[in-house]
Amino acid sequence: METKLAMRMYQEYTTFFQKAERERRWNPFDDIPWDKVNKSASEELALCAETFCGVEMYLPDYVAGGLNVVRKCFGQAWFQANWAYEESKHALVLTEYLLRSGKRTDEQMADFQNQILDKTWERPFDTARRMTLYGVIQEMATFVIYLKQRDRALVEKCEALHKIYDYIARDEIAHCRFYQGVVKVLMEEDREGTLADLAHVFAKFEMPGVKLVPNYDGRIEVMRSAGIDRAVFLQKVYFPVLKYLGITRQELLHAGRKLRPVREVEATPRINGHTNGVHEPSERAF
Amino acid sequence: MNSKDLIAVFKQVAKEVDKRDFPEVTGDSVISDLGIDSLSMMQIVGEMELKLDIMIPDEDLVELVTVKDLLAVVERRMERA
Repeated sequence: METKLAMRMYQEYTTFFQKAERERRWNPFDDIPWDKVNKSASEELALCAETFCGVEMYLPDYVAGGLNVVRKCFGQAWFQANWAYEESKHALVLTEYLLRSGKRTDEQMADFQNQILDKTWERPFDTARRMTLYGVIQEMATFVIYLKQRDRALVEKCEALHKIYDYIARDEIAHCRFYQGVVKVLMEEDREGTLADLAHVFAKFEMPGVKLVPNYDGRIEVMRSAGIDRAVFLQKVYFPVLKYLGITRQELLHAGRKLRPVREVEATPRINGHTNGVHEPSERAF
Repeated sequence: MNSKDLIAVFKQVAKEVDKRDFPEVTGDSVISDLGIDSLSMMQIVGEMELKLDIMIPDEDLVELVTVKDLLAVVERRMERA
């Protein structure tokens, strides 16, 4: 990596790190009002917490996959290490909630952890740039989901869970902002290539881990109202991401079209002089 | 271009984007029931904009539920073009 780019990444990381140290450190055992767990909150609330906890538990795979792809860039590699520390608290604090609320027993949690870790999450993209773009979308979507959970916890009068989601959501948006900062640097270096990668990542995007969680289909039925629908995804994730990065839908579409083989573009019919686009289908949560 | 033509354009573009046929699509079809997710939908909208030489504001795309909703937005834009 050339010096200028490496230094820009380093600056992104130090900005992130200093802010995290100053404003965002929290302790799962000391900073949650554990005496304000509402033990009579609904099972649905607990199931959501358990499912998110499960997704967060693939941390070993996220770390292994994410760190190796950026290990040659100090700023990004050190971010991944810090990211892993912060994310590790998310599964931990949700586990504590499930146990302290009495919603799950030690045995149930141990069994759940075993089921989770019996499966392995695979990194969805092979390059650092694509993984960074994936991080932007995934962290933003996760932030929106946790905010919604935070509001639900308040409705169910569980101050402890409300505080948990507050901390987690704050971490997720901080991670998103770091990734967005890196993407802006990458766009300055190679706007066209970065846009093409963003189009590719959007086309293939799906939330991490969700389908690996045991009884995924049963959970998703219960959680449908707890998740984010397409309108929210567009309004709170897709358009804000594009706006923050200074990209229009049209630019993204053009970038995506360039991913296709030339002959495929030429073979498609035209209306008003324009060609059609073809993208890979994918399964997503929204 | 009438509604029937626009549905034909929608079906053609949706087929190209999602790589499958949509033979049963009507104006009343719910987009999510067709198995089209939000990100595919943005690709479909973008391709329709290119084909029809229009530009739809982002805020008009958030609350689309049925194919008819999308086509109404498209028609309004075509009238202004």
